[in-house]
Amino acid sequence: MPIVEFLQVSKRFGRVTAVDAVSFAIQRGEFFSLLGPSGCGKTTTLRLLAGFEQPDAGEIRVAGASMRDTPPYERKLGMVFQSYALFPHLSVERNVAYGLERRRLPRAAIAAQVARALELVRLPTAEFAGRRPAQLSGGQRQRVALARALVLEPEILLLDEPLGAIDLQLRKAMQLELKQLNRALGITFVYVTHDQDEALSMSDRIAVMDRGRVAQLGTPAEIYESPRTAFVAGFIGESNLLPGPGGRGVVVRPERIELRTPGEPPAGWESLAGRVDEVIYLGERLRILVALADGGRVNATLPNQGQLTRPVGWARGDDVMVCWRAGDGRTLEDA
Amino acid sequence: MRRLSTWLLLGPGVFWLGAFFAVPMLLVLAASVMPRGVYGGVEPGFTLEHYRRFLDPLYLHVLGRTVVWAGSATAACLLLGYPVAWVIARSRRHRQLLLLLIVLPFWTSFLVRTFAMIFLLRDTGLINSLLLGAGLIRAPLTLLYTPFAVLLGLVYGFLPFMVLPIYASLEKLDPALLEAAEGLGARPVARFFTVILPLSLPGVIAGSLLVFVPALGSFVTSDLLGGAKQVMIGNLVQNQFTTARNWPFGSAASFAVMALVLVAVGLSIRWRDRGADGEPAA
Repeated sequence: MPIVEFLQVSKRFGRVTAVDAVSFAIQRGEFFSLLGPSGCGKTTTLRLLAGFEQPDAGEIRVAGASMRDTPPYERKLGMVFQSYALFPHLSVERNVAYGLERRRLPRAAIAAQVARALELVRLPTAEFAGRRPAQLSGGQRQRVALARALVLEPEILLLDEPLGAIDLQLRKAMQLELKQLNRALGITFVYVTHDQDEALSMSDRIAVMDRGRVAQLGTPAEIYESPRTAFVAGFIGESNLLPGPGGRGVVVRPERIELRTPGEPPAGWESLAGRVDEVIYLGERLRILVALADGGRVNATLPNQGQLTRPVGWARGDDVMVCWRAGDGRTLEDA
Repeated sequence: MRRLSTWLLLGPGVFWLGAFFAVPMLLVLAASVMPRGVYGGVEPGFTLEHYRRFLDPLYLHVLGRTVVWAGSATAACLLLGYPVAWVIARSRRHRQLLLLLIVLPFWTSFLVRTFAMIFLLRDTGLINSLLLGAGLIRAPLTLLYTPFAVLLGLVYGFLPFMVLPIYASLEKLDPALLEAAEGLGARPVARFFTVILPLSLPGVIAGSLLVFVPALGSFVTSDLLGGAKQVMIGNLVQNQFTTARNWPFGSAASFAVMALVLVAVGLSIRWRDRGADGEPAA
């Protein structure tokens, strides 16, 4: 049985439909991401699951039970907020203890569990327990927020852009740690983000949201390799939208494009004629922009194998043939 | 340059406070330890007689009553004002209108508003007429010139001073904190005592001081609504300076009140600093 089910769930704010008849199921232990640009409805979806918003239509089930009449304080979900929402008037220790105190556990048990939770997120109790949130760095606050949610041993942990306010270096490290926590604790993670790299690298499955609907749901590889709509193709990774059969668009990822000298393409390959417009050096890759004869543009990404210094390297103004394997082009459903 | 501009900015205020606050204060302090003049005023000399006289049970009783009333008015303002401040802080559309309604009474003179309460409370006033008319009572209730009337007047007069600072601290409260508490299993009552109240404590303390201190020194309300029977310390001081012509005693009484105010402020500052640490409340 899925641990979370959304059945035709809708939520409106005034005239705006934030979530529009969304259905999906999350399996136990899964790292499930809701990915999309701001305003796509991903945060509202998470807040509906947490119980901070009530659906206007449809049903949300957790472990098979309808959540219709269950207030947030009885849902037993952990939540990590984008702003962390740590209690500013309480120490780190009392912040983490907050949920346990509400359950009226004995003091000794609370202290032991708090210490364990702080250890789990690698905050030494001796050093941090007495500090106030204002005395912590962004990354440390993030860990306290995580410990505060995890100490209650929830079956599901909801994370609303938890790494949004952390600098890049730390974010990469935290991504790995979150993924490892998900595996080690067996807790289902529902993760909201607008960062496609984050979603691709951490998730078991991703629901890409667009204007209140799930545009596509699948594993990171499925979504990257086979985007169903122009929106998904454009939002996740870089892509080239090329004319395809029947007037529908075909998406080819830049790293699947090959550039050859004009001539006959190999069997089973598609090709278009163009001229090199720009060669951009990116370090481990080269990006070559090709102006097509019909006025379109193709972005081809080649691994840096020293082409710049070799005679086979491309230069601005070269005539080229843009080629890709027919199997690497994805015909879109919507354009 | 920087020092010059600092002094230019501070100068007028410092002069004003020095000339019209500190100097009169020192004059009152001096008067409180000087012998009383025959025709009012003071005579040269030094005496603690006025402070001793203030320790007379008669006056201590007035002081005690004043503290109780000011304290009750503060408590009533807190109980009435906190929910109002909460609603205003949480409302989106009507916030400006509600705030306007809170400060609206200030547009009329305090004296006029207190007189208006007489029309409301007296035997032939609006309340008694309505109750008599409805047949709920047979004889008019004695409302005016009672402790109740004084308390009513104090609460009415000072309620906005309680609402506004509490509103200011509730308005800054991040709604995500309440959701975090709710997600961690806190029911509404627990959320109030563990998150909302501790975080609005600075507003509660500021509001309580803004009500308690002026209520302690008020004399118009008790004069108009309490009649001669319900004297507060403010009336006592006023009488000494006017009809009784005993400036030194009036000065001593007002310094006694000021000492009380200092104690109240000191206690509330200590309470705020300790309250911030937040023992588990619920």
